[in-house]
Amino acid sequence: MSKDTVILFGTESGNAEFAAEDMATAIDRDRNVTVIDMTDFDMNDFSTDTFYVLISSTHGEGEVPSGARPFIEALNADQPDLTGVEFAVFGLGDSTYEHYSRGSEIIEEKLRALGASRVGVYGRHDASDGSLPNDAAVEWVKELVSTL
Amino acid sequence: MKGRKVAVQLQPTICIVGSGPSGCYLAQFLLKQWPESQIVIVDRLDHPYGLALYGVAPDHHGTRAVTKQFDRLWLNPNVKFVGNIEVGRDLELAELQANFDIVVLATGLHQDRKLSIVGGSLPGVVGAGRVTRLINAHPHEPFADFAVGQSLVIVGQGNVAIDIVRLSLSDPAKLSEIGVPASVIDALRGKAIQHISVVGRSSCELAKFDAAMIKELAQLSGVSFSAHNLEEPASHESKSAKVAAVRDLVESSPANATVSVDFYFGWQPSEISGDKSVEVIRFTSLTQPNETLELKADTVITAIGFEENDAALIRRAQLVDAQSNIEAGVLSAGLYCVGWFRRGPTGTIPANRADAKMVSESILSDFENSERLGVKLGLPAVKKLQEELNS
Repeated sequence: MSKDTVILFGTESGNAEFAAEDMATAIDRDRNVTVIDMTDFDMNDFSTDTFYVLISSTHGEGEVPSGARPFIEALNADQPDLTGVEFAVFGLGDSTYEHYSRGSEIIEEKLRALGASRVGVYGRHDASDGSLPNDAAVEWVKELVSTL
Repeated sequence: MKGRKVAVQLQPTICIVGSGPSGCYLAQFLLKQWPESQIVIVDRLDHPYGLALYGVAPDHHGTRAVTKQFDRLWLNPNVKFVGNIEVGRDLELAELQANFDIVVLATGLHQDRKLSIVGGSLPGVVGAGRVTRLINAHPHEPFADFAVGQSLVIVGQGNVAIDIVRLSLSDPAKLSEIGVPASVIDALRGKAIQHISVVGRSSCELAKFDAAMIKELAQLSGVSFSAHNLEEPASHESKSAKVAAVRDLVESSPANATVSVDFYFGWQPSEISGDKSVEVIRFTSLTQPNETLELKADTVITAIGFEENDAALIRRAQLVDAQSNIEAGVLSAGLYCVGWFRRGPTGTIPANRADAKMVSESILSDFENSERLGVKLGLPAVKKLQEELNS
């Protein structure tokens, strides 16, 4: 029996949310999957019984998108002990810009600093060719859950 | 997890006027709560997405990718796009209101804000919105008189101004590759453009461009950059990312440049003069009294924002009454507004996503437990929409 999965998205223009929904559809046959906006996530809900898939874009000068800002602020303020919490990360970015895909890395570093451990391959999508992240994210998450 | 649960089973008929980012995001948000609703998005053009196509620089593929997100709307059999419909010309707003439970105006604001100074309408003065539409091959943008000469002055320092600098100086082969019409590439390159000045009212620190846009300019080859009044004389060591980006750009300029670009900060345009067309544009300093700046120019591109079109058939002011609540996007019972049409021409695509989310919540709360949904037939009841859809 696999762990419940929560897909947390941090978005600016909706692409991360859109990809999160596609990822959920791709893996929800064998597991219980919920898609949650990082803006709406309550730190107290972090659980070692849940597997977290994070997907976030990058904004401006390598910052987290506005949809992930409350999440990062809450992590900084509450400093929850995330020991035993497992997560995987998929980052969105555009390699035309400096700080490519940096937004997701900021979140990843913060979660690890609080004791959580990242598993699987760090997924990434480069939007410099104008493609959406959905296909790459779906392939990545299928591969990810098959190895858990 | 938050998220409104609508108790009613009734599904509304919804007409969204305007298929730019605000209208499409709104459709996405409404569909989440009302997956079986009938949504018709109309546009005056024959294809959707408005400013996401005609207002975004064609080399910013990542920004444009949002249209691929919207493409998925049309896969839903309950969502229809009807093009070539201008409300107020092809059919009246009242007809839509009579036949849809919910009507939302998302027509935006797309006319370049006019430069109201002496000489502001001389030939050779062109709005950046118009230039961006030409670059993006907008079907309704007449080409006629636009051609940049040797000296271009851009008034305004937002991201649109920086887009124009970058696109004017990009490799023509690259522009062609991304779909810029050949005639527009020629017009932009002008008669061997030699000089571009980018002049704005703010200090560099407060300029509206993003630092990332300035960094992108470093990829242009054969261009040297200079900056005037980069920092206020009084200011201490600036930590501004924008100042740092401009300084880096200036310092890394090549010695053997064929084109020069000058940034001027803290200047307000006062007058444009010329015999038959633009020859000189003058500015007054906003930081040093009595200082003036005079620049020779054969073309002036104004990038100072947008306003309501002089010929707009739907005007927000005419639809607002005592019952309206513009903050929530409510014009009157069943009639809403979203995006730039609601709050004015500020904010980029993500800001309009936030706006659409807010207005969708306002609509959902108005119709929570309402029995007024699904009463009006929508698309099948509007002959003009049916005709266009079947044509």
